[in-house]
Amino acid sequence: MATAAAPAIDRFDPAAAERDLLARCERLLERALALGADEAEACAAGWRSIAVRFEKGDLKLAQVDRSSTLGLRVFRGGRLGFSSTNQGGDPALEGCARDAIALSGFAPPDAHNVLPRARPQAPGLALVNPAVADLPIDRAVDIGRAFVELARSADKRLSIDSAGVDTTSVARAIATSRGVRASESDAQVSLSVFGMAIDGPEVGGFHYTGDSVRRLADLDRAADAAAREFASVALGNLGARPAESYTGPVLFAPDAFLEVFVSPLVSAASAIAVQRGRSALAGRIGEAIAATDLSILDDPSDRSLAGATAFDREGQPCGRFAIVERGVLRSFLYNAYAAAVEGRESTGHARGSPRSVPGLGAHAIAVAPGRGGHRANLERALDRGLYVQRFSGTVDPASGDFSGVAKSARWIEGGVVAGPVRETLIGGNVFALLPQIIALSSASERCMGEALVPFALVDGVAVTAG
Amino acid sequence: MKAPSSDPTDLLADVLSKKAGGFVELRYHKKRTRSIAVEKGRVDSAQISEHTGVGVRVLEDGTFGFASTDRTEPASIAGAIDAARSAARASARARTDRCPPLPPAPLARGRFDSPGVDELLAQPIERTLEMVLRLEAQARGSSTAIQSAACAYSEVFEEKGIVTSDGAKAWTRLVRPEFRVSAVAQRDGEIQRGVETVGATGGWDCLFRRAGPEALAEKAAARAVDLLSAGYPEGGRVKVLLSPALVGILTHEAVGHTVEADFVQAGSVAAGKLGQRVASERITLCDSGASELLPGAGGSLAVDDEGLPAGRTEIIRDGILVSYLHDRESAARFGVAPTGNARAWEYDHSPLIRMRNTYIAPGDASLDEMIASIEDGYLLDGAANGQADSNGEFMFGTREAWRITHGQRGPLLRGVNISGQAFEVLRSVERVGREFRWDLGAGHCGKGQPAKVDAGGPWLLCTVVLGGR
Repeated sequence: MATAAAPAIDRFDPAAAERDLLARCERLLERALALGADEAEACAAGWRSIAVRFEKGDLKLAQVDRSSTLGLRVFRGGRLGFSSTNQGGDPALEGCARDAIALSGFAPPDAHNVLPRARPQAPGLALVNPAVADLPIDRAVDIGRAFVELARSADKRLSIDSAGVDTTSVARAIATSRGVRASESDAQVSLSVFGMAIDGPEVGGFHYTGDSVRRLADLDRAADAAAREFASVALGNLGARPAESYTGPVLFAPDAFLEVFVSPLVSAASAIAVQRGRSALAGRIGEAIAATDLSILDDPSDRSLAGATAFDREGQPCGRFAIVERGVLRSFLYNAYAAAVEGRESTGHARGSPRSVPGLGAHAIAVAPGRGGHRANLERALDRGLYVQRFSGTVDPASGDFSGVAKSARWIEGGVVAGPVRETLIGGNVFALLPQIIALSSASERCMGEALVPFALVDGVAVTAG
Repeated sequence: MKAPSSDPTDLLADVLSKKAGGFVELRYHKKRTRSIAVEKGRVDSAQISEHTGVGVRVLEDGTFGFASTDRTEPASIAGAIDAARSAARASARARTDRCPPLPPAPLARGRFDSPGVDELLAQPIERTLEMVLRLEAQARGSSTAIQSAACAYSEVFEEKGIVTSDGAKAWTRLVRPEFRVSAVAQRDGEIQRGVETVGATGGWDCLFRRAGPEALAEKAAARAVDLLSAGYPEGGRVKVLLSPALVGILTHEAVGHTVEADFVQAGSVAAGKLGQRVASERITLCDSGASELLPGAGGSLAVDDEGLPAGRTEIIRDGILVSYLHDRESAARFGVAPTGNARAWEYDHSPLIRMRNTYIAPGDASLDEMIASIEDGYLLDGAANGQADSNGEFMFGTREAWRITHGQRGPLLRGVNISGQAFEVLRSVERVGREFRWDLGAGHCGKGQPAKVDAGGPWLLCTVVLGGR
């Protein structure tokens, strides 16, 4: 346990924070090796955050936090052990190392339990803007208050259940016994709003949206876009009526297309899912798996996306990576373990926090725009049917089966929005429907700051009206 | 395994006495997690994590401020009190409707230990790892159609010390074990998955109270294989027999969230309906910090994160909406007693209104009687995810379905999602079964921060919208 008191709200110094975390990683690494680890990896994150929460349109709570966490992965004779702690003192680091070493005595050996070699690091992405990193709490309150006013000013029927402004400045570091040394810092400010419209006795379905940016100059645009979307969708949810049942084309908004199709496809492209027999994409590299309009990149070099980073959870460099190009499956995603199974190098897709063993996944998904024009063009192409803005349901990434409720859904009649619909379920199979993408819009939209995705018109979807 | 910590409440009370002034709530929270995950014979994760800190909430100038520290010595806790007060003062000008001082409440004092803590603390992790490896192998080897299997076990030990300036001084200890086994079957390019999960508050006798781990592994594997040759239900508005797991998710998602007072204040579909009939007279629906009717419910807690005893609240009594779920602030605004529903996930989270164990009270019908009474409908089982909307519209996933025609159960069908309006579905209830189960103790409820909850009930005959093909 440290002895110095934490200062109340202080400045974020990225260089100092990274140095401190790297030094703690080195100490943890040293202890693990001294206790008998063959290989060890110490990973750390430290952050300063301010959160301002609003409920019912009024301020609820302001919160400040400063904390850090360290994780240690060790291999002994190919056996895995992992431990993490948020305590920074030497006794806690010693305890963390002893826990990981003890665990590594019990697991069966696995020849693929190896740490990746050190590789040249890509240049840093300069993700810290001091104006964001050191945003004072009273400024965050002002931003939040203005955002809430903007979100509800469009119509008195709008009710904001909750809204928030979060600023997080984080430093990350990693050190391994194979010579990996990497650190970087990031600072983001994010906005979110959740609520609905209420008209007399009628309560409309809720809508939530938000964004995350790294420059204060981008904040007004983000707030304006989020407020407009919230008002438009929440108000549009009033007066919902039953839809009609059919099987055929459905128009998906970017958030819905991401959740139903893109995320499950990316999950199925995990090399571990393939190696373990739970991916429908096994053996299909180089094959057309989707309509030719569909191209999916993982692009952690895009600083406009929340997942931007120069290196992955194992300290491997990462950059633009094609998963699907013009409908053809190009590559699976690998972390060090999956790569070792196939005797190849990691693609830099280890994911996760220092609190757990590294996982595997994409950092920042960017679906390329198509040639379908604006959303209105796709509505005209649909002519008559369902437009889904949000999906609330289940997608099994192994089988590809999906089933769920079309939320904030609209009925399209004569190529234009006729009105909202309720109690409408959609179902199908992701992998069967990917080739049935009719068109993608000509621009990709931001999905909560985490992905870029276009609108998509997809044929063959089963629609069940209540 | 490390020995439990000593009572932190004296230290918190001492710090508080030196930083007196206004309302202050100190919450020490130590969370130690041991988890193991195995897939296809490979140990993906064998880990221990320990995270400890103190969360501080103050009410100053009619505004709440919150700060946390991951250091537990007095100077750091005092610094966090200052930071929380600074946050409250800096934001007070943005608060229009100032929070009045919290009314006196029957706050908890003393030590509250849940069962199972010492039992699981004494359990060697190598024994647990051996069990997880054995059950994954059992599931994987049970059929040539099984391509892979996975098995995971985790246990979360939580110690909390809650001290408030108006009298709470409680130290609680509990453990929440969770077990999951899944199998993936493949045939002719078709992939299906069978999953069994259980979660509890307590020891292994609670966790495996309905079925042993071997039986759960066998069931998951068999279900994956059986689903390969299963068809889909037809969609539409249909009569269904919901299993206790699905009744649990109905009570939690479709009703429970709409009666959380923060959501009510924003205008949820339950707003203004106190005293009104919202369900069939057969329905009594409750939320409790205790494990009512059967032991081990996964959302059990003795004291909530505001220091209140986490008692039982009737939400719907004989079909009439009689209460919302409250924290201290919302209770004061509604002029009622708080219900002990304030919960925080970790030390650096501020408490929110959350459910604990939510259930529909059992009735008197047997399952066989209920099946025999259905001319045309479905029996649904296996809860997947769920979500509710502000307008009461809900959806949740089911894993398995069986068609019932002329009182007879047909072959297995694939589970699909169901939807409906919460109160309409509760009004449509025709029969309430007498067999009761807690069945939602695994996984988490999400509402900005996770929370361990449980839910359950009896078999229920009602009408919903089924998403078919």
